[in-house]
Formats: sequence, C-alpha cells, structure tokens
Amino acid sequence: MAAYVARRVLSLVPVWVGISVLAFALSVLAPGDPVRQALQQSGIDAPSPEQVAEMRRELGLDAPPPVRYARWVGDALTGDLGRSIRTGEPVLGALAERFPRTATLALVAVVLGLAIALPLGVVSAVLRNSALDHVARLGALVGASIPSFWLAYLLIIAFAVQLKVLPVAGSTTPQHLVLPALTLAIGAAASLTRLTRSAMLEELSQEYVRTGRAKGLRERAVVVRHALRNALIAIATVTGIRLAALLGGAVIVETIFAWPGIGKFVVDSIGARDYPVIQGFVLFAGTVVLAINLAVDLAYVWLDPRVRLGGRARGN
Amino acid sequence: MTGRARAITAGLAALLVAAACTGAAPAGGPTTTATAEPQAELAAVQELTVAAGRDDYRTDGKRNLTGMFPLNANIYETLVTLSPTYQVEPGLATKWEFRAPNTYRFTLRSGVKFHDGTPLTAKDVKAVMDRVATAGGGTVGVDDKSAVVVDDLTVDITPKRTNLRALQQLVHPSWGIHKAGADVVAKPVGTGPFRFVSYTKGERIVVERNEDYWGAKPTLQKITFRFIPDPNTRVLALQAGEVQVAVEVPRESAKTVAAGDLRLVTSKPGAYEAIYVNIRGSGDYAIGKDKAVREAIAYAIDKKAVVENVWQNNAEISQTMIPPGILGDAASTVKGTARSVDRAKKLLDDAGWKAGADGVRAKDGKRLTLEMIVGYPTPEIHKPLPEFAQAQLKEVGIDLKIVTTPDTASYEKRLASGAQGHLWVEAGSQNDGNPCFLPELLFTSPVPGGDDEQNMYGNAFALGAKFDDAAKKCREATGVADVQKAAADMMKVLIDEEFVVIPLAGTFRLYGASSKVLDLVAHPAGVHQRWDKVRIRK
Repeated sequence: MAAYVARRVLSLVPVWVGISVLAFALSVLAPGDPVRQALQQSGIDAPSPEQVAEMRRELGLDAPPPVRYARWVGDALTGDLGRSIRTGEPVLGALAERFPRTATLALVAVVLGLAIALPLGVVSAVLRNSALDHVARLGALVGASIPSFWLAYLLIIAFAVQLKVLPVAGSTTPQHLVLPALTLAIGAAASLTRLTRSAMLEELSQEYVRTGRAKGLRERAVVVRHALRNALIAIATVTGIRLAALLGGAVIVETIFAWPGIGKFVVDSIGARDYPVIQGFVLFAGTVVLAINLAVDLAYVWLDPRVRLGGRARGN
Repeated sequence: MTGRARAITAGLAALLVAAACTGAAPAGGPTTTATAEPQAELAAVQELTVAAGRDDYRTDGKRNLTGMFPLNANIYETLVTLSPTYQVEPGLATKWEFRAPNTYRFTLRSGVKFHDGTPLTAKDVKAVMDRVATAGGGTVGVDDKSAVVVDDLTVDITPKRTNLRALQQLVHPSWGIHKAGADVVAKPVGTGPFRFVSYTKGERIVVERNEDYWGAKPTLQKITFRFIPDPNTRVLALQAGEVQVAVEVPRESAKTVAAGDLRLVTSKPGAYEAIYVNIRGSGDYAIGKDKAVREAIAYAIDKKAVVENVWQNNAEISQTMIPPGILGDAASTVKGTARSVDRAKKLLDDAGWKAGADGVRAKDGKRLTLEMIVGYPTPEIHKPLPEFAQAQLKEVGIDLKIVTTPDTASYEKRLASGAQGHLWVEAGSQNDGNPCFLPELLFTSPVPGGDDEQNMYGNAFALGAKFDDAAKKCREATGVADVQKAAADMMKVLIDEEFVVIPLAGTFRLYGASSKVLDLVAHPAGVHQRWDKVRIRK
C-alpha cells in the first residue's frame, strides 16, 4: 500500500510543475497592467510614470518573465506566494484565511448533497419506474437545470425576505451557512441522484446480485452491502470532482451570499489583474485538486482491492 | 455591478417586486434626494446597518486605506472637503491660501481632537504627507519635503512638481488625516464624526459615534457597514430588514426599492456615460477624422431616450462630460447637442456620404460602417445603450457594429493596440474637485515617454495644440472661477466644436433606504458620503 501511495504521489510532481508553468504563463499573457490598477485603487487615478515604475520595481515586475517564474516557484516552495497587489496581503495568508470558509461551505454542501442523493438514487433504482422513481428523476432534472444564482435568489426570497427564518447574506453565524450550502447541495444532489440511480441499476443487473439473492441474503444486504458498495466507485469519482470544484471556490454563490471564501477573493483579483493572487490561487487550487484525486484513488483501493492488486501487477 | 448580476437583474424584477409588495403599498413610492423629517420621533437605539459593496480596502501598512477609501466610514477627515455641488469647502482646514509658485498654506481648525483625545496639529498633517510620500506621493505628488510645519495650526504643502490643482485633489478621502504615529491598520485614529470599532476583512467595518466631535455630534450611535458585493443581494437584504440602507442599487431595481416601506435616495449626477470618437485612426478606423460624421453622430443620438430607456430615468441629460456642477456657472457655456435626424442627414449628405440601396451611406466606395467598443469599466453597465445607439444611427444611414470587450483590461488593450474602433463608450466618476483632470488625461496629445494611460487615449482622441493649450490654462489657473472657465473651455472644444466627445447622461447615485432612515443625503461621489446627519425614527 505504501509503495502504491508513493508511486501515486511521485506521479503528481510533473503535473504540479505543469500547473505552476501554466499559472505563471496565463498571468503573463493576460492583458492589463496590475500596477496601474493597484495605484488607481489607492486613490491615484492618474499615476505618474515614476509612481508606476517605482511600484513595478517594488513588486519585482520589472524582471523578465523567466526570472520572475524562477523566483516565484522558489519562493512558493518555501511557502511564500508573494503579496496581493490589490490588497497588500500576503497571498498564502489570504488564501489560507479564506480557504476554511470555502472548505466548510463545500464540505457541508457535498455532505448534504450526498445525504439527499444516495438514499434517493438507491430507492429510485430499486423501485425503478415507480411513482417515487419518476418524482426523483424529475426532481433531479429540475435540480440540475436550475442555475445556481437563480436558485440562490429564490431561496433568499423565500426563506429570508418572506419567511424571515434565515439571514440573507453574511457568515457570522451557523445560520448564515444554510442557504449557500443548500444552494450548492441541491445542484450536487441532482447530479449525484441520477448517477447513483444509474450506477445502482447497473449493479443490480449483475450476476453477483442474483447469486446473493439465490443464497438467501436479505434484500437490504444485497442492495446496501453489495450493490451500493460497488456503485460507490463511480459516485466517489464524481463526488471528488465536485468537491474539488467547490474547494476552488463557488464563486457565484459566495458572491451572492457575501460568503468571504476563496472564490470571491480570486474573482475580485482576476478583475484587478492581481497576478500574485491569480498565480497563487491556481497553484493552490491545483494542489488541492491533486490531493483530492489522490484521496479518491486511495478510496478506490478501499472500495475495490483489485485496483491495488492491478497496481502491483504492473509494478512487477 | 458585475456582469452576471446585471444580466440577471431584469429576470429577477418580477420576483423582487412580488417580495417587496407583500403587505405593502403599491410600487411607485417616493424617490427623494433628502428626507428631512424634523418632527419625527426618533428610535431609542440609533444603530444603522448599511449594505456596502465589495471590500476593496488596502490593508498593507504602507498604503492602508481601511475606513478611508473606497468606503468612507467617516473616521477620517480631509483638510478640505468636496460639497455635493463639487465645490471645495473647509474641512480640517478653515482657510487656505495659494502662495506662488506652487504652495498651498492651510490654517487648521483649532480645538479638533483625534479619537484618542490628542489635539490635531500641523505635525499630524505632515506625518500623513510623509506617509503618502513613501507610497509614491499620491495624486498630489508629495515627497518628504512637501509638508512644512509653520506653527501648530499652519502647514504648507508644496507638491514635488508644479501642481496648482492640489487643493482640489486634497478633498479626496485618501488624503484623510490620521494621528501621527497611529497604527492605521490595527487601530485607525482620525478626527471624524465616527470612531473605529472593528474591521473584519470581507465582512464588515463597525464605527461608533465620536462623542467629542468638533462639529455637530451625530445622532447615530453606531454604524455597521456590511460588505455585500452583489447588488441584488443588497436590495434583498434591505427588503428583508437586515440592513436599513443599501448602496449602489442597480437601476433595474430602483422602482422596486421606491415601493412600499422602502425609499430610493438619489444624488445629483456624479458620474457620466459618454461616447468618444476616434479621430486619429488609420485604415478602416480613419472615418472618425471626418468631422461631419462625428457631428452627425452627436445629432443622431437621442439623449432623452437614453436617459428614459437605458438609465430608466435614474440619470439626466448631460451636455458636459464630467458632472456640470463642477464647472459652476461656466457649465452653461457648453451647449451640447439635441437630437435632430434631419440635421444629421444633411451633414452627411453635404459631406458626400450618400445612402445606398440598404440605407447605409457610402463615400468613395467606402461604407459608413462604424465599430462601437463597449467594455469600460464593464460592458454590462452600458446595456442596452449600444443596441439603442445602433438603431438610432441606422436612421441616418450609419451602420453600427457592436464590439464587446469583457473587461477594462481587454478594452484598454484594444485601445492601446492602434485604437481599433471608431466609437468608444465609457462611464466615469468624478471623485475630486479637479475639473481639468479627466479631459486632460484623455484628450491631450501623447508625449513620448509620458504617462502610458494618457498616451493610450491621446493616440486615439487627442485634438492637438488648441486643446493642449486649453488644458494648460486649466492646469495653471488659480482662482476657482478661472479653473471652472478653463475646464468649460476644454469641454466646448471637445463637445461643441470638434464633436470628439458625445456626452449622453449624467448618472445618479442610488441608495435604497428604509423609510425609518431620515436625512440621508446622497453625495454625487460615493467616496464622499457623509453619515453624521442620518437619524432613525421609531
């Protein structure tokens, strides 16, 4: 197992380097002058050439791109992603400060989504073509089709403006988490319900299910312990992808609900051509995605030991 | 306003109206610029929550602007202030005197105390100037020798380069005076009507009444500014009663906000929307050199319809580029244009632009097809102006293609890359008292090795020596009336004589407020908004 993990980690190194090159190149190629925008944000509407040159020097933007890349990667490996040109904060600190908010929102949304999707998808598959199945499929279709911003406003109008049981926006109390998490969870639940149903239908048609039933296993054991466990491989993959996307920042939902997470911060930074933040974020988010992919790969091993055995066979 | 937010606003209108109208009076409530109700019984607790926009404070020590800019929490005050009519008025300085060749002498108000109880002195002003000097010198262009303490209450400020507009620039809140040596990041200490309580990045800034304020003590005991970047959410928070004031209400929601228990508070114009015509283009982009075409465009566009339909009456017709108030009486010397399709057609006919079979004019085999570039500061903020202009220009035989750039950077890249476009739509704000600034920045001749932004605009729109002379006069004028006249003269060249600028609308600042909020007077420039007169009734 340790060798398998080590092999997987090593395989991520070139990917990480690729991400860093891409992050840096995108920022260099994007139009716009971050220095001028930062000075204007400081109240200097028409910065003089001297002011621009001084700030460019101060930020190290006067060096050629390869030199800047080498400096940036070197610093990044020591945990220094530079300072935000827009707000002046250290980038790593700014990302680290906002990431827990985004992670909380993402995790709650995904857990809530799974809590809705797994039972609904399983029951929908087991009771295929029943009224419940039709309702679940319709609900999943609607949930997947509604744009998140529209759903967010609907939920605000219903629960905050009309019923006044939840706050409109902010992040100071646990209640503030409910609406943004629900907005994201409904979208996640919709797609996961459909996936769970189709994966379960496939598993329930397998020979081993028939064998289990023939052996006299209880239906609940057949469905939950055997079919669902095998269906979870596909579900884990999609859940991992969705979680990774949410950890990168649910930009629209964070903006609408004034949730001070990473997504909103980065979008604001993109608008301001805040290179250090954009580069740092891409590297940070890329690292998170790699870590989640690694976790999902390891989950495969737990869910299906044949994955690990296959790895050994290839290693021999 | 974000692009996405703008796009969804119209779609949400029905829902918002439904939410607003629940148990309330029908839409069409009061729209007001002030809400003075001196007889109203005031609430015992005078605490206000304001839905502000995005948290854009810089928080590094060198350039920290927490509580100061862009959201002015009224913690700090400037030496001079900008009135709602864009006139320079006394602030922490009671008087000032220009001392040739390049110095302003300020006499400070006596008896002013900082929030920590220490008195304001000229040394504090010098400390602020010195701090700005370490961060590049600001708009005024100060260095560590610029501020000289004459005595405890007198200070001279001499910019490092000749800058006679320093007085008008010092009204900007980024020149707020803080206590010398105070930790401006952790504990902002100013002299304003409210004192700093707390700041949570991305969430809120809280201030409380300054009991020792030198002026009229505010009625409000506490203000919480919550950062809510999405304009629709701000309106919903207002409707839900979570906040009592929402800033920058989207114009599409204005009618909804004006309904029921809420009211819309509007300012005089402090921002504008205008079209600039490329007069220095080459190849396909050279059409704008034809003055008849520029003039015809100015007469073809119906500004009244733009105000009514594009801005939904949350603006007024503008004949000047920047807000007319800043030009004082001289504003009336700029005439502008009113729609006249016949005149526009005649101008084009006389210039040899003849209508073809499809109605589009042509001259010497070249069709009168123009590109309108839309993207500054965002494309969404102008919608649906481009389509509107397209229809109106078609009536006079001009074929307009709309080119949308996603953001300012892309817009500027296109402008800097040979000014690829004929018509450039922009929205701008006037945040200080210097009327020369924007016309000089955008329309003076490019200078080799000069400012990149000025050259970028100059390469497309500069008029040459005559305008440069007018800009110089504006820059060098000393008296208020002289400055206003010089700025108006620049406008006349741009708008009345050369038709390089086609002003469309002077736009209002829109605040949504609970009907319990009294005496909220919207300043045309949001960064100068005052909260010290606001009260809350029962």
